[in-house]
Amino acid sequence: MAKAQQPLLYVFLAIPVTYLVALIGFPVFYNLVMSVQDVNLGNISSMIRPFIGLDNYREVIADPSFRKVFINSILFVGVNVVAQIVIGLSVALFFSREFPGAGLLRGLLLAAWMLPALVVGALWKWIFATEYGLANAALTSLGLVDAGVHWLSDPRIALTSVTIANIWFGMPFSMILIAAALIAIPRELYEAAALDGAGAVARFRYITLPSLTATLLAVACLVTIYTMRAFDLIYAMTQGGPLDASNVLPLLSYQFSFQQFKFGIGSAIGTFSFVIVFVVALVYVRTLKKEAVS
Amino acid sequence: MRSKRLSAGLLSVAAALSLVATTAMAAPKTVTLWHVFNLDTDMIYGGIEAFNKAQDEYRIEARVVPATSMVTELIKATATGSVPDLATLDNPVVASFSGQGTLTDLSPLVAKSEIVKPGLYFEGPWASAQWQGKTFGVPRDANTLALYYNADMFRAKGLDPDKPPRTWSELRAAAEKLRDPAKNVYGFGFSAIQAEEGVFQFLPFLTQAGGSIDKLDQPEATAALDFLVDMMKAGIISKDVINQRQYEVANTFMAGNTAIAFGGPWELPRMEKEAKFDWRLTLLPVKDDKNIAASALGGYVFVVPKGAKQPEGAFKFIEFMSDPKILNEGWKTGRLAPRTDVKVENPRWPQAYGIYREQMQSAKARGPHPQWPDISKALQTAIQEALTGAKPSAQALQDAAKKIQPILAKTPL
Repeated sequence: MAKAQQPLLYVFLAIPVTYLVALIGFPVFYNLVMSVQDVNLGNISSMIRPFIGLDNYREVIADPSFRKVFINSILFVGVNVVAQIVIGLSVALFFSREFPGAGLLRGLLLAAWMLPALVVGALWKWIFATEYGLANAALTSLGLVDAGVHWLSDPRIALTSVTIANIWFGMPFSMILIAAALIAIPRELYEAAALDGAGAVARFRYITLPSLTATLLAVACLVTIYTMRAFDLIYAMTQGGPLDASNVLPLLSYQFSFQQFKFGIGSAIGTFSFVIVFVVALVYVRTLKKEAVS
Repeated sequence: MRSKRLSAGLLSVAAALSLVATTAMAAPKTVTLWHVFNLDTDMIYGGIEAFNKAQDEYRIEARVVPATSMVTELIKATATGSVPDLATLDNPVVASFSGQGTLTDLSPLVAKSEIVKPGLYFEGPWASAQWQGKTFGVPRDANTLALYYNADMFRAKGLDPDKPPRTWSELRAAAEKLRDPAKNVYGFGFSAIQAEEGVFQFLPFLTQAGGSIDKLDQPEATAALDFLVDMMKAGIISKDVINQRQYEVANTFMAGNTAIAFGGPWELPRMEKEAKFDWRLTLLPVKDDKNIAASALGGYVFVVPKGAKQPEGAFKFIEFMSDPKILNEGWKTGRLAPRTDVKVENPRWPQAYGIYREQMQSAKARGPHPQWPDISKALQTAIQEALTGAKPSAQALQDAAKKIQPILAKTPL
C-alpha cells in the first residue's frame, strides 16, 4: 500500500518544489546575480553583464544614506513589532469580554487592514498635514501643542509619523491572530484559578500569557516580515523624505533602481532586506514546528 | 424543418467565419502606445481616433500608464524585451534612455519627414530629445511654470491685483502681507519635494539668480536657495512644501491656504473647476539686481523604444500628432505646443495662455544628460538640507556640487 503511493508522493513533492524554485528561488537568485554586476538601462535586457564582484555592496555600505535607512528600518520594524503586539493583545483582551456587539466590532476593526496601503498612506498624509490636518487640529484644540507639528516635513518626526500610520494599519491583523489564540485557552483554567483565589493580574500572568507565548512569537515574526517589506504606505506618505528621514530599505532599493537607474545597487540593498527577512522566516518556521509538537 | 434551420445556421456561421478571416488578413498592423494622459479631453484621445479612421495601414492601441510609473513600466518592458512601439516620456529622463541605447534612433525618419522639421520646434523641447547628434524622440507638448495668485486675497490685504509682483523683493513683500497665520494662509508655495518635481520648481530661481546646475558652489546658487530658506524661516512658506508634490501645492492654493503659488498650465482645468475665487496668472519674478527672466521646461516626448515592432507606424502617428491642427487641441487641457508654428486662436483661459506663451521664451531644458537623475538627486538633497535647516545653503550646495562636478567632468552637459 505504502509502496504503491510512493510515486504519487514524489509528484506531490515536485509541485511545491517547482513552484518555489521558479517563482521564489529564481527571483532571489536573479537579484543576487544583478547585485554583483554593473547593470544599466542599456544592458538590462541581457543576462551577460560586466561582473564587478562586491563593488555594489561596497558602494552601498559606504553610502551614508544607506546606513541611515538601515537604522530607520530596524527602528521602524522594532517599534512596529512591539506596538502591534502590545496594542493588539490589549484590544484582543478587551473584545474577549464578550459585551454586546463585541464580535461585530472586532470584525470591523479589520476593515482598516483590508484597505490598500496607498489609500491608507494618502489618508494619513492628510491627517498629518500641518495646516489642515486632523492630527494638529485635535492636538491644538485639546491644548496639547501650541503650534502645528510638522509631522511629515520635520526630519526628526517623519519616521515616528509613518510608524504610527503603519501601527494603525497593521495592528488589526495582529489583534485577530491573538484573539483567535485567546479563544482557544480553556475556560476551566480561569474558573479553577478564580476558585484558588487568583486575581485578574495573576490570571493574566500565569494563564493567558504562557498560553499565548507561541502565538505572540509567531505574530512577532509575521509583523517583522510584513513591516520589513513596507513600501506603498511610506511611498504615499513621504517618499522616504525629508532627507531619507522616513526611508526604509525596500523603498531605497526601488529609488536606486527605478529613479537613479542603478540596478546593481538596488539589488544589493534588496539582498540586505532578504537576509533579514529570511532569518526571521526561519525563526517563524521553527516556532510553528514547536507549536505543532506541543 | 429543424435540419434546414440548422444547416442555414451553420452556413451563416461559416460565412461569418470567412468574413473574420478575410478582414483579419487585411487587418491594420497594431502599434502599441503607452501614454500618461488620463484626462479624456487630452488631444491624444482625439488624435488616436482620427489616426485610426484616417488610414488602415496601422491601428493605435493605447494603454494609459500613471505618470509616476511610466519609467518603471518601461524599464520592466525593456528588461523583458516586450516593449511598446511608442511611449511618452517626461523630457529630463529621455537622455537616460537614449544615452544608454534603449531607444530607436529616429534621425533617418525625421530627415525624410514633411511634418517633423527640427527648425519648427522650440529649442528647449527639441534639445531634450537629442543625444550625440541623433534624434531619439519628438516633443509632444511643452509646459513651464508661472505664478498663480489669488486676486481676492490681494484685494483683502490692500494689494493691487492688477499689479502682481514682478521681482523677488516684490514677491517677498506681497507674500509677507498676504500671510495670515490665523486663517492658515501662507504667502507663497512651491514644491520642494525630494523628487524631480522639486528640482523642476527650484531651477527657475537658480537661473533667475544667474546660477546654473554646473556651478552650484557659486554665490548665485546660494542666493537662490537662501531666498526660499529665508521665506520659510519667516513663516511665509509652509514647512510642508518639502513633502508636497506639485499637484498638492496647487491643492493648497485652490483651498485658499496659499496666496501665491508656482504652477504649470496642466493645473488649469482643475483650477477652473475647483478654485472658487478670482485667480490669475503672472510671469515668474526676476531677481532685482539680475533681471534674468527664467523658467524651467517641462513636457512629454514621444519615443520609440529599441526593439519596437512597428517603428514606422509609430513615427506615422508621431507625425499625425505633430500636425498643428492636432496640437491646437492641446491647450484645452493646458498643454502648450512645442512648435513655433502653432498659435491657438481664441484660446480658453486667454490670460493664462498669454502668460505661459511668454514664459516659454525663457524656459530652460533640464540636461539633456544621461545621468540627470543623479544630478537631480544631488540638488534635491541640497534643497531639502537647506530648507530643513540641516545645513546652511552654501554648505548644502557645495556638497551637491562635489557630487555633480565629477559627473559633468565625464560627460559634459
